[in-house]
Amino acid sequence: MAVCTVYTVQSLNYTSSMSTPTKTHLGFNQKHIFFYKKTSRKATEITCSSADDSKTVVIGLAADSGCGKSTFMRRLTSVFGGAAEPPKGGNPDSNTLISDMTTVICLDDYHSLDRTGRKVKGVTALDPRANDFDLMYEQVKALKNGVAVDKPIYNHVTGLLDPPELIKPPKILVIEGLHPMFDSRVRELLDFSIYLDISNEVKFAWKIQRDMAERGHSLESIKASIEARKPDFDAYIDPQKQYADAVIEVLPTQLIPDDNEGKVLRVKLIMKEGVKYFSPVYLFDEGSTISWIPCGRKLTCSYPGIKFAYSPDTYFDNEVSVLEMDGQFDRLDELIYIESHLSNISTKFYGEVTQQMLKHSDFPGSNNGTGLFQTIIGLKIRDLYEQIIARKPGASLEARKA
Amino acid sequence: MASSFTSLNLNPYPSFRSESDGEINSTNNIKIKMNMNTPPTSSSRSGTRLKAMKFKGTQMREKKLTELIEQKVVEANQVCGEDETSDECKVAWDEVEEVSQAKADLRLKLEKLQQDPLESFCQENPETDECRIYED
Repeated sequence: MAVCTVYTVQSLNYTSSMSTPTKTHLGFNQKHIFFYKKTSRKATEITCSSADDSKTVVIGLAADSGCGKSTFMRRLTSVFGGAAEPPKGGNPDSNTLISDMTTVICLDDYHSLDRTGRKVKGVTALDPRANDFDLMYEQVKALKNGVAVDKPIYNHVTGLLDPPELIKPPKILVIEGLHPMFDSRVRELLDFSIYLDISNEVKFAWKIQRDMAERGHSLESIKASIEARKPDFDAYIDPQKQYADAVIEVLPTQLIPDDNEGKVLRVKLIMKEGVKYFSPVYLFDEGSTISWIPCGRKLTCSYPGIKFAYSPDTYFDNEVSVLEMDGQFDRLDELIYIESHLSNISTKFYGEVTQQMLKHSDFPGSNNGTGLFQTIIGLKIRDLYEQIIARKPGASLEARKA
Repeated sequence: MASSFTSLNLNPYPSFRSESDGEINSTNNIKIKMNMNTPPTSSSRSGTRLKAMKFKGTQMREKKLTELIEQKVVEANQVCGEDETSDECKVAWDEVEEVSQAKADLRLKLEKLQQDPLESFCQENPETDECRIYED
């Protein structure tokens, strides 16, 4: 849809019509089309912002692991090229990440209560009462329509709400945090949504890795923190997964009996069927049920090996396809071998998934399903974005007489 | 020719590096060893972190978060000791989670970026207190 505004302007006699892109202070291109009549002393200027210039594709990511620095975000922005960085010269505690194509916004910035406020009211950050969904909706909507916004900053160090920062509409907007799919109005704005579902055992193992080196922490405090947050998490965050177009579920492995280290992971990619611009990844034969162990004569794997499964299923009353990987790879050729057997992965060239994984081999999850599926989802999002952009109609113009 | 590969590590935190070396085995398959997903040991972690830390502001933030974690854990234990099911108890542990994650994010930035997060801010504002060069 093109939005055109008509201005009438005094001018001398010109005969040509021309179109010049000019940058407005809002930072996006508008096409100015000038129509002049030979004899008239007036000219009518029609300014149109064509749809593909101003429309932003919005992706929602629900995760409990803090904002913006998460591995998923880094993999995603990397698929589009360029590193995502905090806005230059602004608030050093900003949670926002910006790259050429993408801007990642942390939804904690929409906290209506700061740390003190939440303490007074007795609500956790997980509670909807601590968040301003009206503002979230207005600003995401504005950005989606090509309008820049002044977004608040929630400072995680001080626990205060800092003065806002200007966010210009990017090509791809990612909103990441605890509640991207909580409010139905915001949900409508999302072109694609992902929920990162970490099982309790894995969450515990990851938080131990994260916190055990900290002076104040012990196994007990880590456990207590998870348990105290669990009721609010189950009530407010977990239900969002029914709305997600893709769920990445992370579970402990089934390949090692009694493994509780959380090192080897079983990861499920649950993909909703019938989502516009999104064709689920499959193994060998779409819609069938497959169990696949790639290790054997052609491929030698080290312990505990790799096991794949693929099948159609139902998830919260939705038709889904589930691709599952248990185990880990530690060699390049394992990864390429696996990639060559997956279908609908939306790569632009053979080995692209492997290349992306190698590029970030130091990221957590690079040797298991979390890295693999995050990378694949990144490519699917790129594919979705390109399809959406290709479908945009060109700006349509109406000439009006002066 | 036998190829040797990274076997399952007994040490859960093998040293942080990504390496690849290729060997050609008898069937001419190129097998390349990769060290993937290796979180750093705490010694190499603090080594790389200290190298990247440049500004006073970052050192102040790190110190503050470390203190906050300790303080909030003590508070949480106190509050929950009185009533484990209270809202106050929930909120106290949520605060612990918030500051723990914030500390982890800062640590991650320093290690992964190999750069002080205040770098670009301090280029524009070199005269502020936060941008004094940190000396150990």
